[in-house]
Amino acid sequence: MGKRRFTEVWRVWAVVAAIVLATFVVTLRLVQLQIVDHARYAADARLIHYGRDTLADRRGALLDRNGYPLAASESGFNVMVEQRTWEDPAKARAAADSLAEITDVPADEMLGIVRDAEAFEIPVARGLDYAQGVAVRELGLAGVRLLESSRRTYPEGNLAAQLLGFVGQENSGLTGLEIDLDSILGGNPGQVTYERDGLGNQLAFGDRSEIPPQPGANVVLSIDRYVQRLAEQELDRAIGDNGAEGGTIIVIQPETGQVLAMASRPTFDVTKPDLSDNSKQALFRNRAITDTYEPGSVFKLITAAAALDLGLVSPGTWWYDEGVVHVSDWSIYNWDHSANGSQTVQQILSKSLNTGAAYLANLCGSANFYDYVERFGFGVTSDSGLSGEVDGRVRTPDNDPTGWREVDMATNSFGQGIAVTPLQMAMAVAAIANDGVLMKPQLVNEIVGPLGTQVVEPQAVRQVMSPESARTLLDMMGVVVDGVSTAYVDVSGYEVGGKTGTANIATENGGYKPDAYISSFIGVAPLDDPEIVVLVKIDEPEDVPWGTVVAGPAFSRLAEQALAYMKVPPAQQALVAGLQD
Amino acid sequence: MAANRDGSSAIPEVLQGTNIPVILIVAALIVGVAALLPLVQTSLATSTGGNVSRLEQLREDWQARLHEQELRVAGLGSLDRIESEAKVRLKMVAPDSVTYLSVDAPAPAQHRLPSRYLPDEKDPVESGSLWGDLFGWVPLP
Repeated sequence: MGKRRFTEVWRVWAVVAAIVLATFVVTLRLVQLQIVDHARYAADARLIHYGRDTLADRRGALLDRNGYPLAASESGFNVMVEQRTWEDPAKARAAADSLAEITDVPADEMLGIVRDAEAFEIPVARGLDYAQGVAVRELGLAGVRLLESSRRTYPEGNLAAQLLGFVGQENSGLTGLEIDLDSILGGNPGQVTYERDGLGNQLAFGDRSEIPPQPGANVVLSIDRYVQRLAEQELDRAIGDNGAEGGTIIVIQPETGQVLAMASRPTFDVTKPDLSDNSKQALFRNRAITDTYEPGSVFKLITAAAALDLGLVSPGTWWYDEGVVHVSDWSIYNWDHSANGSQTVQQILSKSLNTGAAYLANLCGSANFYDYVERFGFGVTSDSGLSGEVDGRVRTPDNDPTGWREVDMATNSFGQGIAVTPLQMAMAVAAIANDGVLMKPQLVNEIVGPLGTQVVEPQAVRQVMSPESARTLLDMMGVVVDGVSTAYVDVSGYEVGGKTGTANIATENGGYKPDAYISSFIGVAPLDDPEIVVLVKIDEPEDVPWGTVVAGPAFSRLAEQALAYMKVPPAQQALVAGLQD
Repeated sequence: MAANRDGSSAIPEVLQGTNIPVILIVAALIVGVAALLPLVQTSLATSTGGNVSRLEQLREDWQARLHEQELRVAGLGSLDRIESEAKVRLKMVAPDSVTYLSVDAPAPAQHRLPSRYLPDEKDPVESGSLWGDLFGWVPLP
């Protein structure tokens, strides 16, 4: 009896113990699921039950100064595929084939994207236009949906490609103004989180929270599409005519510092930039600000400006050219090895005498000479706001007391041994054309946002030289052009001034590239009241290197058409008839 | 029907003489209809939600087409296309020489930014005087 009772009690306790143990195990598992790993499981559940999309409003447009769009966005679609709906290979292949017919993305590529995806949902095709989007929607494929996005388009084609730059897949700027103005153009993306059903579609009465996106602002640039196109056409023609490697043209409005055109060659197709080939990435850079060069004789304008403004010389001041100037152990000759005897300061510019420029620099003294060089904006970025802009290089007794030699000033005086960007050079001459006031280069005129318009005012950097000296130098530039054959420089109806430059190309080891030159011409038009300053720089022309021959004609053709387009009245003597109303 | 010892009925007085099954059926119907109401409401709301979603889709489609048309217009106004039309269709050629005429008339107005790129103009808020605000309702001449 006692033994039987003991057995019964033992069995009861065994059952109780089993129940307690099972309860304990279940409790432990619950603790693990709901407390220890709560965050992970909650996240997994959210991933399945909730969808989250980034909402992007339209990216702002880049407009030219008259409101014509140079880069704008239109609505587009990305095709999103929910990975688990493509787990069946046959169904996935059928869906991918259908999508491939519409999207131009190969079916195998789409299948690969989905197969390798780690996310719940992945885009398999981007930037579809409206018609493609509608076609995809009408397929009604399970687990495939359209996500609104935007596509960047360029109504003017490749105009100002390097300046404008381009955007990436996520509609963020990658180069040029697109990246420099990204925060303004891009606006603020929004986000929507919603509860979804098993197919990934939004539940009608599910949870939903939305932060609406803020649209990007339109940016009105200082660029004039007509002048920009002229610049690019003339640049292409000059490069073609001279078998050159490349070049740059910049057009500046001197009074405001606004950049009307900025063109560089070689260039790239902004509508289809090739990011896969690293060697082609050099094409993306805006050479007007990223590349430096030795300006050559164009720089004699700066040397003359210093000497004139210091009151050391006037255009008619005489000086004797022996054909050589000895500085320390170095001898400096004229470009044609000529000895011209008695010459005026005007003739130093007209005949582009290296010896004369060295004489003027020596007259100023190194402190004054480099003071003017810096006042004209060389050696520091012009603060254009464009990323990638470099300082250039000016070696002075102050910034390189051990490396600087006296002969450096002599060579600097005619634009050698000094590195400048095309934009720095153009802005410096624009200062001469603007009564001696150096302006900050301006590329953005207005920002038109949802809340209003912000107008960017021109900014003066400093008075570099007196207005009187600037006027004198401007007239001297007019005399320089008068001495150039009209076969090369002739702006019909307008008086213009300018200066040519032919310079060697410095190499990284400190020498010069043999038989390679940079030919340039910088001109001001019209001379009495300058409206434009044009820098034409042609890299490595094949035959003759002279700036007059290579770059002069491009300046003439561009200036003539640009002035007529800008409704700048021609010189009085060019008017052939008068009409009264 | 059961009756209490004092002879009164267990059925409330108001229900006495009424057919109980009928009451039960009516009650069941009321409960049924009441239960159907949320279902109908949910169904209506669902279909309305679907309609809203469809209309939103439609609006987005039109917006996309509008943007597409805006850019098509921009493309038609591009310099390349203008030059091509001038040369090919209108047979225009560049002039050999330029003649400048002096015209005694004002210059044409400068280009303005197309209105589609300008922010919406808001009506200026009229700010009257304090007395005007206080007695504005009085019908004075």
